[in-house]
Amino acid sequence: MSGAILSVRDLRVRAGERLILDGVSLEVCAGEVHAIMGPNGSGKSTLTGVLAGRPGLEVLSGTASYLGRDLLAMPPEERARAGLFLAFQYPVEIPGVNNVYLLKASLNALRKHRGEPELDAFEFLNLVRVKLRQMQMDESLLNRGVNEGFSGGEKKRNEILQMSLLEPTLALLDETDSGLDIDALKVVAEGVNALRSPARAIVMVTHYQRLLDYVVPDRVHVLAGGRIVRSGGRELAQELERRGYDWLRDGTAAA
Amino acid sequence: MAPAPGARARQAAGARLAQPPHENWKYLDHAQIAGRGFGLAPRVAVAAARLAPVMLPLAAARRIVLVDGSYRRELSDADPGDGIEVDDLSALLGRDPAAALRMLREPGDDADDRYALLADAFASEGVVIRIRANAAPVRPLYLLHASTGSEPCASHARVVIEVGAGAVLSLVEHFVTLGEAPSLTNLAAELRVDAQATVQHLRIHELGARHVHVETCVTELQAGSRYRQQLFTLGGGVVRSNLQLSLAGRAAEAWLTGLFMVDGERQADLYTRIAHHGAATKTYQSFRGIAAERGRGAFNGRIVVHPEARGTDASQTSRNLLLSPLAEINARPQLEIHTDDVKCRHGATIGTLDAAQLFYLQSRGLDPATARGLLTYAFCADVIAGLPLPELRDYIEELVVGRLPDRDVIRSLR
Repeated sequence: MSGAILSVRDLRVRAGERLILDGVSLEVCAGEVHAIMGPNGSGKSTLTGVLAGRPGLEVLSGTASYLGRDLLAMPPEERARAGLFLAFQYPVEIPGVNNVYLLKASLNALRKHRGEPELDAFEFLNLVRVKLRQMQMDESLLNRGVNEGFSGGEKKRNEILQMSLLEPTLALLDETDSGLDIDALKVVAEGVNALRSPARAIVMVTHYQRLLDYVVPDRVHVLAGGRIVRSGGRELAQELERRGYDWLRDGTAAA
Repeated sequence: MAPAPGARARQAAGARLAQPPHENWKYLDHAQIAGRGFGLAPRVAVAAARLAPVMLPLAAARRIVLVDGSYRRELSDADPGDGIEVDDLSALLGRDPAAALRMLREPGDDADDRYALLADAFASEGVVIRIRANAAPVRPLYLLHASTGSEPCASHARVVIEVGAGAVLSLVEHFVTLGEAPSLTNLAAELRVDAQATVQHLRIHELGARHVHVETCVTELQAGSRYRQQLFTLGGGVVRSNLQLSLAGRAAEAWLTGLFMVDGERQADLYTRIAHHGAATKTYQSFRGIAAERGRGAFNGRIVVHPEARGTDASQTSRNLLLSPLAEINARPQLEIHTDDVKCRHGATIGTLDAAQLFYLQSRGLDPATARGLLTYAFCADVIAGLPLPELRDYIEELVVGRLPDRDVIRSLR
């Protein structure tokens, strides 16, 4: 188990009547950045969802352990407190809950879990301001409802803002690059790169290779038909960019 | 003129209440109320010290106190000045019955006035408040309706408020119970707003869990007047609000917003009937309802646009939240439009907390209780944020939060 942050074994997951993941195995070690690519409908979002504890997904068989703990037995908030973070593909809008309330409640829940004292209002605001500047976000967003009326790009930045504030041990990024223009993509990529450290791991789900130009992965996996059909280094992403996914669909040669 | 108060009116009221159930009263269990056989409330003396703990933190307000429906001069600012005149209805009936009866509206024949008829028959007590034309009292007028609840009984009250042309009034009505005995209060209130006047009206029901409160509030707006009502039904065993608003004059405008919260076995039943008569009149209604445990709520909103009300702009929304599988809310918008030149919108929703929002908050480390509490609070946050009197905002917020299942958690986040 040396250095393994996430270890997924033969995971089979169903949503309603539909089998989405059909035996996924994945090992992510400390310090690594993994990219999971694949065509639409291949099960990418289900994989990050089941790891974060999204309701409505049923695990049929297989295991997922996080820092040696049985991840699938933990409720979502416990996963978050233990350092797992999911950046949502479609962050929900929550009118009436202030962004700053959520950030504070969230950070303090994690700090409490780690046995650290809660931050007072002054310390908290200073910290948030630094992170806002990094994400090139306007301070007025703090007093708006969570994601309320945010543009697509603002929502994605807000996810990365939360991530950089919570400093997760394992970050799962679900298509964080989709819908971003090139400037926003660079800001988001910088946010992700800033998190890279020997103690952390990052799993990025993406449809395109574009994000991987800015956040260079150690490993690339191709998910198709609910299974990882190919794994390799970053050159695999470049090959996918050239050849598309079709050549992998028929072969199903697992790496 | 109706012989009110009097035996004939009582007979009429009895006959009306005995009529078959009407759809506009579907959610009020009249048989159950009548079955309790409430006698009329005796006049009980109440010391000012007994009222102090239940009063709103409105130190600067002019105070008018009704106890079990009767005006209590000794507890009130009897001569508030600033263009405000206060009259005891029963004294006025003795002094100048013709004038008093002219001021009292005669309840109509339709089902909406059933309880108003009852008040007409039985209420000889109440208060008449007149605001002189162009007066603009700086301090709010605080009308406290206290029910003693020392023994099971019924009280009927009439309130008449006339706001003169061009006057500006901030009015707060607050309904409280002092004792725990199950009792009934029946209010027939009339508010007449003359041309170009502006009225800001905050109404708070903070009644005991065994109390039944029925109110018929008839508001008439003349040309160019503006009326804003914010209604908070945060207590009471059964509260039936019957809001009848008529936009009589050209370009009159009304905003009605509100929130009811029912838990335990409580019931809130809100009925609005908005009648657009004047041309270019405008109404905006936005109501929220929250039902927890076995609470039951109803919103029945009727808008009638009469043929002469060209250029009417009316909108109505009712959003409702169910926090338990045994809770129940019914929402029914009704539009009757008799002219082509109108803009009308309405929408009603009833739902539970959003699963995607709950998961999002949990994925950020919040436990389910906190997440639920935050989302419930969020559901009514903008109703509270829009309160006109900043000194009451914290009070109302605490009243609302205090009724939420995860109140401690939400308090800790504020």
